[in-house]
Amino acid sequence: MSEPNHNGIDSFRNNLKSIIDSFASSFLRSGKPTSDKSRASAMFNNFFLHVQGVKTHMNTLRPTYTLGLGLISLFLLLITTVSGVVLMIYYNPSIENAYNTVKDITYVVIGGSLSRNIHKWAGEGMIIFVLFHMARVFFTGSYKKGREFNWVIGIALLVITFGINLSGYMLPWDQLSYWALVIVANIIQSPKEITDSLGITQYFDVGGFSKELFLGGLNAGKESLTRVYLLHVMLFPILMFIFLGVHFWRIRKDGGLTKPDSFEPQESDAQLFSPPEKKGGIFTTNKTYGLMELAGGRTPAVDKDVENTVLSWPNLLIAELAVFFICFAGVVVYSFFIDAPLKELANPLIPENPAKAPWYFLGLQELLSYSAFMGGVGLPGIALLGLALIPYLDREQEHVGVWFSGKQGKSVALQALLAGTPVLVGLLAFVISFGWFRNWWPNVPQLLITLVNPGNLWVVFMMLWSVWVIKKTGSTRMGAIALFTMFLVSFVILTYVGTELRGPNWGFYWSHSQWPPH
Amino acid sequence: MSSETEGKSEVSRRDFIGLATLGAVLLSSLSVLTGIFRLSKPTVRYEESTKFKIGKIDSFPVGTVKKLDERGVFIFATDEGLHAISSVCTHLGCIVAISDTGFQCPCHGSKYNEHGKVIGGPAPRNLAWLEISQNLDGSLEVDSAKSVPTGTKYKFYA
Amino acid sequence: MRNRFYIMTLFIAGVVLLAFTLFAAYKEMNPEWKAYQKEYKELLVKGTRDEATKKKARELETNIQQLYLGGLKRIDRCTSCHVGIENPLMANAKVPYRQHSGDYLKKHPMSSFGCTVCHLGQGRATNKKEAHGLAHDTHWDYPVIPLKYIQSACVQCHDLDMLKQKGADKIVKGEQLLRENGCMGCHKLNNIGGVLGKALDIIGSQPRIYFPMGFVVGEKTPYSWIKQHFDDPRAIVPVSEMKVKVTEAEADLLTTYVASLRAEEMPKSYRRILETQKDGKTSEDGEALYKKYCIACHEKGKDSLFDEIFMHTIPAIVNPAFLKVVTNDYLKKVVEEGRAGTQMTAWKASAAGLSGQAIDNIVDYLTSKRPKEKAVPFNIVALKGDLKKGEELYKVRCALCHGANGKGELGINLRNPVVQGADITFLAMTVRDGREGTPMPSFGKNGVGLSDQDIVDTVSYVKTISKKK
Repeated sequence: MSEPNHNGIDSFRNNLKSIIDSFASSFLRSGKPTSDKSRASAMFNNFFLHVQGVKTHMNTLRPTYTLGLGLISLFLLLITTVSGVVLMIYYNPSIENAYNTVKDITYVVIGGSLSRNIHKWAGEGMIIFVLFHMARVFFTGSYKKGREFNWVIGIALLVITFGINLSGYMLPWDQLSYWALVIVANIIQSPKEITDSLGITQYFDVGGFSKELFLGGLNAGKESLTRVYLLHVMLFPILMFIFLGVHFWRIRKDGGLTKPDSFEPQESDAQLFSPPEKKGGIFTTNKTYGLMELAGGRTPAVDKDVENTVLSWPNLLIAELAVFFICFAGVVVYSFFIDAPLKELANPLIPENPAKAPWYFLGLQELLSYSAFMGGVGLPGIALLGLALIPYLDREQEHVGVWFSGKQGKSVALQALLAGTPVLVGLLAFVISFGWFRNWWPNVPQLLITLVNPGNLWVVFMMLWSVWVIKKTGSTRMGAIALFTMFLVSFVILTYVGTELRGPNWGFYWSHSQWPPH
Repeated sequence: MSSETEGKSEVSRRDFIGLATLGAVLLSSLSVLTGIFRLSKPTVRYEESTKFKIGKIDSFPVGTVKKLDERGVFIFATDEGLHAISSVCTHLGCIVAISDTGFQCPCHGSKYNEHGKVIGGPAPRNLAWLEISQNLDGSLEVDSAKSVPTGTKYKFYA
Repeated sequence: MRNRFYIMTLFIAGVVLLAFTLFAAYKEMNPEWKAYQKEYKELLVKGTRDEATKKKARELETNIQQLYLGGLKRIDRCTSCHVGIENPLMANAKVPYRQHSGDYLKKHPMSSFGCTVCHLGQGRATNKKEAHGLAHDTHWDYPVIPLKYIQSACVQCHDLDMLKQKGADKIVKGEQLLRENGCMGCHKLNNIGGVLGKALDIIGSQPRIYFPMGFVVGEKTPYSWIKQHFDDPRAIVPVSEMKVKVTEAEADLLTTYVASLRAEEMPKSYRRILETQKDGKTSEDGEALYKKYCIACHEKGKDSLFDEIFMHTIPAIVNPAFLKVVTNDYLKKVVEEGRAGTQMTAWKASAAGLSGQAIDNIVDYLTSKRPKEKAVPFNIVALKGDLKKGEELYKVRCALCHGANGKGELGINLRNPVVQGADITFLAMTVRDGREGTPMPSFGKNGVGLSDQDIVDTVSYVKTISKKK
């Protein structure tokens, strides 16, 4: 048992010389990704990359399948987060300073104006793209085949996206911020409409309580700004990232993105990715450890290749990088030319007229004009519940990964579009021209209006139509397609009406130029 | 083994577009990061100017010292003129007091002579002498951001 | 090439991103004020002869220039473009490089006052459009004030007497015009005044949205609104009943003063106001009060006219015939209670806000114009009024001007409670003697020819007219 022969000083000198190499290899344990094995290893062994699989299905990499919408939503979130942190260097959330710090960001901070624009447009773009992403996931039936709960997580993420956008809108403390805050606080109080008509408000004032919790008082003021800031920079982002983490984790566990059973590689695919070097796995016989790939079943399959997959490094990563840069470049170009709005300092004595919420809530505000409770709490609640229940009410497992589940779905969607649009437009035209119950019978009880109003009637129509489709086609999936299409149609139409056709006092005007001079 | 060598030559066959893309990605990322760093450096200060008025020459009779703690400066008036010495200790920023030998800092015991030269304690630098200027209306101004050589004295007339 | 599609899109996106970040960097490095500061440097270098100044000029750094005004709670960055404002060498340079005019900066050094406290505008801005804040889309409520109105800033700290001595004639004249044209007859100031128009107290601080700009010509700022409203009220506010006739120059002076009525109070260390210089003193004399509150509608008061804008006759209150017959108590009553339903407001302390003493002074002023000879007395006690006859006479003689039910059009409204409460002798004398200078003729023996009994019948009927529909 002799001692190992170390020449101390020589060892030390050699170690000092090779310090960079030895640090590099301790840091990048997988080595250069020059072989399929090392490329697999790079994905698998990296903390950030291993949330994605070592191999990716070819269908996932086809841009026409997903249009990169989920990725765009994620990247817009990242861009918004980083630009938000940058803005936090200068923004101060007190009502004396908020407005002035935002102004100084645009006037004296180098790149401040651009950063603010990026933050605003990436944030609002996120709403558009998560809605598109939700539509893509829906229409490709990707809420099925074990992916039901991930859909629900997605709905939760949708709500958080709206919340984070809305709370951000209130931070500059200009006229837009202040009156949006007042409107939202009153929406939060809208359950009072129900408790009042039931006469139980004095015992159970859930509306008033929630409003005071939100505002930090009875009126919008400095306490409100503190709470909204807390929501915007801390609570909503934390929730967002937690839910996102689960969302990605579930994608992995659910087997990656959906793909149609009929998938076949095409000629055009050669432009998109490089196939693996050889069939039959990537491993040589000199393995000292085994890596098992579960190929779509529940048992290991030795020596069988996963069909139609390619290595994630570099194929998936380069696709993601491309989407990121397209997204970022798009945001930067838009932000270079278009400035985020900033109006006069908040003035509690002078309401904006019309006092409008940000555009993504104007559809809701149109519904609010019929009934505060229904428009603010009732119908959005029903919509979210309806959306969340889709994977549980439609459990057919066919045609997953095919847009509209095929030809029939396409025509169901088209019919829903063509039927729903005139009905909704007709309803709106009626209420705009003739008013509603209170215009005709001034003493009609509020509860009747809450129960019977254009918003409720539209929802009832949507539900009846989709039940009719279910009956006619014998398929819950078709019914779901009809319902979802009508939901999208109504979101677009209502948002358009609220943005373009409503002027002072929420009156109807064909265009802005017709608004009475103030 | 063949896969290893194939992989290597694949890497070296990277064409112009690939390199150009890498360049575009790296340069644009670098430009964004540079922008973010430049952004974090303030362009304006939300503070009073470092220049402040101290009054007219007749408020400084020869042989007196004025201690302006809120401004961190001593104004000495001798027959050779006025001079301003910073009263902020160069060690960790406490306000020094006048002592028999010059100045003494109460925090960690730094000692300075009457010209502000460090003669004891942990202070790393001498006390700065500051610029005094006179405006067109006769009022005197000290600029605490402008140091002048030790011993600089100013002669002003009413 | 493998991944060709994605590499190409990545390449294009990367190039676009790089290009736009470089464009943005260029934009940031060349803000508007930089060009101004460069030109200023050149002007300095060219304009001086001696090398020392030339050297100093060349060494000037281009930076945002700002004045941090802690006491006034603001930051002014105007000097980023108006670089030469304190430089005597720039006395004849073009704007924005020119030195400030006059010697105002001697007493109002920039380091304590900045610029916006007098000139308004948006001090924090670093580009011309938003700094001046004139355009509607700058969303700034206090645009730079036109130089002709600049004196409106002085009263924030100085009292009018001092300003008069120093030659700030515009604001002094403006204040006088406001005080002597009866504007407070309809507009409250310091809580005293009529209510037909909006109160003037903080009008100089009202945000842009307070002023309906639909008909304003040119820049839609509060100053243009106020000035054009003086020129022709109904051109700016179609439903306005404002009675004003001033020249264009006077309109500018009035605008200067009105714009000075602001909400913010300067910190005590800045103010030089004597506390006694507050309005609403009751010891003001009757004539001054008449000019302040009455003259706009009643004008000289000798004649009465049917006013086309008011759609009403404005009574002649300094009319000799009127003053001959009216009692002081009745005059005081009318002023205190006003004439409900007309533009004449109630002036008592609890309404428009004049103190009892002030109203007495006004009444004294009016009655000082009373003619020396007394009116011929009317012995009304001896006669009894026949209401039926009176009604007949009224229909024939009075209804034409005073209306079938006394509501009045050309003539005053006889149903008004104050009129109804008047002494019957006063009414009888009025009917008998008429009102020269107004459309009311004399109905007595020297005029239309009614007998005293006829007059008593009519007047007794008039006293019951408010009971009729």
